[in-house]
Amino acid sequence: MSTATRTSAVRRAGSRSGAREPSGPQTPPGSAAVRAPRRRISPERVAAALTLVALLAASIVALNSIGIDPAKMARSWSNAERFFGRVGAITFPEPGELLYFTALTVGLVICGTLLAAVISVPVAYLAASNTTPGNGWRAFARFFGVLTRSIPDVVFAMVFVLIFSLGALPGILAIGIHSIGMISKMFADAIEQIDEGPRLAIRAGGGSKLQEFTAGVLPQVMPSWVATVLHRNDINLRGSVILGYIGVVGLGMQMSFAFKSLDYGLGLGYAVVIFVLCVAMEVVSSAVRAAMLGIQPTGRGLGDRMLRGLRRIRPGSERLGVQAAAASPAAMLRRPWNGERVRNTVWGWIAAAVVVGSILICDIQWGDFITVWAKVPEIAAQFWPPSFGSYDASAMFEAMGETISIALAATLLTVIVSIVVGSLAARNVAPTRGVRAGMRLLLVVVRGIPEIILAIVLIVISGLGTQAGTIALAIGGVGLLGKLLADSFEEVKAGPERALTAAGASRLQVYAGATVPQGLRAMIGHTFYMIDCNIRSATLLGIVGAGGVGYYLLNASQGSHYGIVTAIVLMILVTVLLVEGLAIWMRRVFR
Amino acid sequence: MTNPQTPTDTVITLSSVTKRFGATTALNGVSIEVERGEIVVLLGLSGSGKSTLLRHVDGLEQPTDGSIKVLGENVAGLSGRPLRTLRSKVGFIFQQFELVPSLSVLENVLTGALATLRGPRLGLWSYGRANKLAALGHLDRVGLLDRAYQRADTLSGGQQQRVAIARALMQNPEILLADEPVASLDPESSDQVMALIREIALDRGLTVLCSLHQVDLALSWADRIVGLRHGEVVLDTPTVGLTKAQVMEIYGRVATTTSELQAIEAELLVGSIPDSAR
Ligand SMILES: Nc1ncnc2c1ncn2[C@@H]1O[C@H](COP(=O)(O)OP(=O)(O)OP(=O)(O)O)[C@@H](O)[C@H]1O
Ligand SMILES: [Mg+2]
Repeated sequence: MSTATRTSAVRRAGSRSGAREPSGPQTPPGSAAVRAPRRRISPERVAAALTLVALLAASIVALNSIGIDPAKMARSWSNAERFFGRVGAITFPEPGELLYFTALTVGLVICGTLLAAVISVPVAYLAASNTTPGNGWRAFARFFGVLTRSIPDVVFAMVFVLIFSLGALPGILAIGIHSIGMISKMFADAIEQIDEGPRLAIRAGGGSKLQEFTAGVLPQVMPSWVATVLHRNDINLRGSVILGYIGVVGLGMQMSFAFKSLDYGLGLGYAVVIFVLCVAMEVVSSAVRAAMLGIQPTGRGLGDRMLRGLRRIRPGSERLGVQAAAASPAAMLRRPWNGERVRNTVWGWIAAAVVVGSILICDIQWGDFITVWAKVPEIAAQFWPPSFGSYDASAMFEAMGETISIALAATLLTVIVSIVVGSLAARNVAPTRGVRAGMRLLLVVVRGIPEIILAIVLIVISGLGTQAGTIALAIGGVGLLGKLLADSFEEVKAGPERALTAAGASRLQVYAGATVPQGLRAMIGHTFYMIDCNIRSATLLGIVGAGGVGYYLLNASQGSHYGIVTAIVLMILVTVLLVEGLAIWMRRVFR
Repeated sequence: MTNPQTPTDTVITLSSVTKRFGATTALNGVSIEVERGEIVVLLGLSGSGKSTLLRHVDGLEQPTDGSIKVLGENVAGLSGRPLRTLRSKVGFIFQQFELVPSLSVLENVLTGALATLRGPRLGLWSYGRANKLAALGHLDRVGLLDRAYQRADTLSGGQQQRVAIARALMQNPEILLADEPVASLDPESSDQVMALIREIALDRGLTVLCSLHQVDLALSWADRIVGLRHGEVVLDTPTVGLTKAQVMEIYGRVATTTSELQAIEAELLVGSIPDSAR
């Protein structure tokens, strides 16, 4: 290790002196065009670039075929006016009921997320390159993660609703299993980024593998893990709405009942409640994350850098001979109640209370876990073999195609809007601080909106289907992609920007010449992530009437044609895995 | 010598140990014996194999060839609990301290007791009162009792290294290995830490094997110096009556090229500057 630090120090010193005395470019004779080296183009890069172009073309075609045109939208706005005239005012359920279903929804989501977090620990342990016991285990854990991530939680819920009939359990299990994919991946990433030193020290002291993990790895990854869980909890709350449509209790189910009984006022009331709840949760969890990172610096954050700076300024007090009066070891057995300990304890108790409250409100029928096993073989038999039932195979493929079109079109819209909004939200691009703050706020609010709620509201109000779904996805995506882009723009090296500014480039030229080229790779990566997310979301849109394969999924499950459910899930699985494979390939090629 | 199980009081024996990493030969036929209670310094340039050698003694690395005996056990043949038990008798101090940054000082010291405990441990309470008391005692010994409940990464480098020493003491070791324990410290803290290690070793009759860069420090601190070069032992001599010039001369004799000699002088003399400046 010391060798490495020393060489890097030498390298740093070397580059510094190099910067001080720039050696003029060597200019051998001959025309520049002759001497200029040919740019080497690898066939793989060409293929990847062509794929990108093809995807772009496909997205444009998709957008066209869906037919989002402003004139039509304006016309549907009069539709909306008529709608409100007919429906009257938005109504809310009575407070007691509202409170109960809100608590139930939040509790169910928290239980599900926690379940996923607990299962994700061993999965991440097996999947992380530095803790895995072997490559076979690693491949297995990763496959398991990808599988749980690729099957929509709605499908898990359909299965569990059958097995457990009523209550919160189907929702908890569906959220719990579906979330393993993302949580375990991010847990594993965090494990791979730890400092190996402390772990080695514990091994050198005779610690076992498990002890290495609990004493050396866990404390290092904890802040990042908690942030991941909070983040996923937000996503799950937004996603929980749609679970209501297939029989999972909570606000989503109440809303679907209201719409089914044509009580649009009440349905919209529930939609407003869910929207407010999602934004509130987003705010709370980002506050918690910020507070937590303040207590436990990750080593990369701004807070940590400031802390380190302070430490450097303050000289070691003990070196100045002001050693505080040290008591005897026995007297020190009791940990003193300082501010930090009080704060940690209070946070700990609040967290514990929230968890216990969540479990209590869900009223889990623990007995079910013992009795359901008898039902499993019978239900499994209903799901196998996959078939298209009375549907035409071509109709199904067409529906899947429509889902993909919606996803691509929505991604295109999202990318266009996000480049503008995300750029303006980046510190180094925004013309003024005010613009940046405004854009960041906009992104937070948009991120809080559940896409499904947006789709439902748009469908109900405008009477449109596929178009409404696409717009809902596109808007929802801006919240995520806009933030990711803004962050990557802020992370680019400032040097090239300063160099261009110094050379007299305009603001837009600096942006195009220095900021975008540096952020391009991240942009491609994030865009693929967006396509990935949108395909998953688009499969579900049909459930609320926004076109695509989701409609058939809901129909099949309501008509108890579970073979069709399996067939559709397989189609979704193949599509999602293809996109994921494509994304991995792109990231590798454009590295 | 009296006990037939341990015929001599040699606690570390390396017999023609060779270690290759792919094409690199990190250790080449190294044979060293260290007696109980001896304080030995490994001297050598960067890349000469000091760290690799120390890691072999603790079973963190397996030799390509040759054998290693530590406290009468054949390290290369051990695994599982016997290996962990042996490791617990060997304290290891690292150049970068390697404390868990987000844990308290006390909990870091307690991790030294893990080998004597079964199962995973999380949180101070899980170590039990007796261990906590012992850990606080060790912290008192290194002069950091009042810092017990502070986060480890809020301490200065010298303090962190003292916590690492307390962690090693928590293992109740018979041998102390230290890999350039003061290379990332300022001269003042480095004197403190070196003095502390020596005091503790003499107090408890510990055997110490410590790698260093500075010839001056090694001469004043160790009972014996072992010099490594390109993974080979080129020097193995008691420090009594030895002068720096003699050490340099031996290195000079084995250096094959003048540039290598310059490198040796640069590396080994650099360490002496803070000492002479004092
Ligand atoms: N895990 C490893 N894989 C490959 N090569 C290694 C490994 N560990 C050590 N080496 C090589 O073995 C040689 C000896 O390394 P070692 O770290 O033991 O040197 P050192 O004397 O401790 O150097 P320094 O003073 O810089 O710490 C070096 O050439 C190094 O590159
Ligand atoms: Mg070393």
